[in-house]
Amino acid sequence: MLNGIKQIFGKEMARILKDKKMVFSVFLLPVLIMVVLLTIINNLAGQMQSDIEEHKAIVWMQNEPDSFETFLASAGAEYDIRTIDSDSDRGEAEDAILNGDADLLIEFPVDFDAMIAGFQEGDAVPQIKTYYNPSEEYSSQAYQEISVGVLESYRQTLLAGRVGNPDAITVFTVNSDNDDMVIQDDEKASGQALGMMLPYFITILLFAGAMGIGTDMIAGEKERGTMASLLVAPVKRSSIVLGKVFALMVVSGISSLVYVAGMVICTPFMMDSMTGMDEALNLNLGPDQILMLGLLLVAIAFLYSAVVALISVFAKTTKEASSYIMPVYMVVLVVGLLTMFRMGDGGPWDYYIPFYNSAIALQAILSHELTMSQYLITLVETLALGGILTVLIARAFNNEKVMAL
Amino acid sequence: MIEIRDLTKVYRLNKKQMAESHTKNPKKTAVDHLSLTAKKGEIYGLLGPNGAGKTTTLRCISTIIRPTSGEIYVDGHEVQKEPEAVRNSIGFLTSDIKLDDQFDADYMFRFFGRLHKVPEDVLKKRRDELFDYFGISEFAHKKIKELSTGMKQKAAIAVSLVHDPDIVIFDEPTNGLDIITARNVTDYLKKLRDDGKLVIISTHIMSEAQKLCDRIGMIIDGKKEAEGTLDELLTKTCTNDLEDAFFQIYSARKGVM
Repeated sequence: MLNGIKQIFGKEMARILKDKKMVFSVFLLPVLIMVVLLTIINNLAGQMQSDIEEHKAIVWMQNEPDSFETFLASAGAEYDIRTIDSDSDRGEAEDAILNGDADLLIEFPVDFDAMIAGFQEGDAVPQIKTYYNPSEEYSSQAYQEISVGVLESYRQTLLAGRVGNPDAITVFTVNSDNDDMVIQDDEKASGQALGMMLPYFITILLFAGAMGIGTDMIAGEKERGTMASLLVAPVKRSSIVLGKVFALMVVSGISSLVYVAGMVICTPFMMDSMTGMDEALNLNLGPDQILMLGLLLVAIAFLYSAVVALISVFAKTTKEASSYIMPVYMVVLVVGLLTMFRMGDGGPWDYYIPFYNSAIALQAILSHELTMSQYLITLVETLALGGILTVLIARAFNNEKVMAL
Repeated sequence: MIEIRDLTKVYRLNKKQMAESHTKNPKKTAVDHLSLTAKKGEIYGLLGPNGAGKTTTLRCISTIIRPTSGEIYVDGHEVQKEPEAVRNSIGFLTSDIKLDDQFDADYMFRFFGRLHKVPEDVLKKRRDELFDYFGISEFAHKKIKELSTGMKQKAAIAVSLVHDPDIVIFDEPTNGLDIITARNVTDYLKKLRDDGKLVIISTHIMSEAQKLCDRIGMIIDGKKEAEGTLDELLTKTCTNDLEDAFFQIYSARKGVM
């Protein structure tokens, strides 16, 4: 039995590793695509960001008071300021904002300075109106910077002019100098951020890795007419199945490892465009957690390989197998998504649901929330299910109709 | 020794196959209560037209498919009860069975040798012997997909004989081969017979059966209609060659011609 498994395993591994095109497409190409894509995205995002920052906002002003002009000059703010002198100017400004040629329109009330200076209690409070185009990046940026930032400082300045000390009318502030406002377990927090993404990627990558090769390993072998030569060799059908499933496990395992390594390598590239990623990847796992993680990943790879093999065995060609597997792949994608948006601890039966349990267990290991009983239920169930599927595949191998003999 | 007792194989046809065969019967009897015995030191030929049940019979012997009823003993092992023991004592070859074309003949030979648990030193000896005989050495390290049909067939023959089986089962042994390779193969089958092994082949080529087989079983519509040495069959049908003998038996069975 063991000799059979070993020989079949060796042949399947050799088949993949000796085929340069296969090695390239399974192990290297996806990482290459990821690196290239991320680099491009990062560069473009970085360029966009610096472009927005370097852009000198084009601001139209209506009834601009002298005090604001002085304020801007003293604040060192540099804008391309255009003044509205007539109704046609106003129309032109609005059109320019709509077309993305200008970024902001600030409309002051007429005689704004006089209104401020002569303000009596009971008078209407003067209103400054700003207009912008949220679909335009420059315009949004100008709105954030000027409407929210600059005008607020301007208000504070005018307020100081009126009451002397603005603190006298400030009832309270919220967190103005509270650096310790965040109370959290950093380990758990970084685990959660990672735990949200990694199980999703790992489950999908493991399945995708098994999918491409598994269909070729079984349905392809039927299609090429090489399966029969194995079936007349003096090895048990179960040895053939296990040899193939183990090879599939190893290949999908390696390819997902390569992906994960690729992701880690790419992280520095991503840092610039995605703040917070450095913390998210700051994993803090003990040896027991690494062991738990490793065992569970092996079990998941086994289950997924068995699923792919079982489906492939019922297909006559690799093409047919791929189309049968697609719906299952969709299920795996959805299960991955469910773990990403799972709130709280979920129901008590979550760890009994096959496929889902392994994905949430991965997540819970990373966020240090998994109990030993939940882990064991998941591990044993995943392995048992893989085992049952392997028995079913071996039975299918004995069925001459299924094997198209 | 191969002993077939009352072998019947019924296939269940799907709708497409029923339409193709112009039948409404979902069951097709490929082999119908067939019995025969083939002994070591002889070449036994199953002779019959296409669709007579020759290949199905050989596949049942080789444990690739299961008999619907009846028993087959290969060196005392029943095919359904001890399939692995049966597979260990046979070498089975058909043009439907192909070698993985990503590998070379040398790798495939070693792979199947190890599956059959042939010791490494014996494996090397067998390799030298078979590769020399079939002239495989010169293309032993070329991928199977780069080989011609004849080369592929030679490699497949060598691989199927890696474990020096006592019983060699060959479905249409010269099918698709050029005249020189075909002669090479039939000569080797004779050598195996002379070495005391049992060779059982299927063929629809009369001249091949006449020249090669020590005993011939004529199969028509899944039934064995006649069996014997060439002389016995000619005497029985009062004919001078195998083709005439076959047609006489065929028309007696079909009631035409």
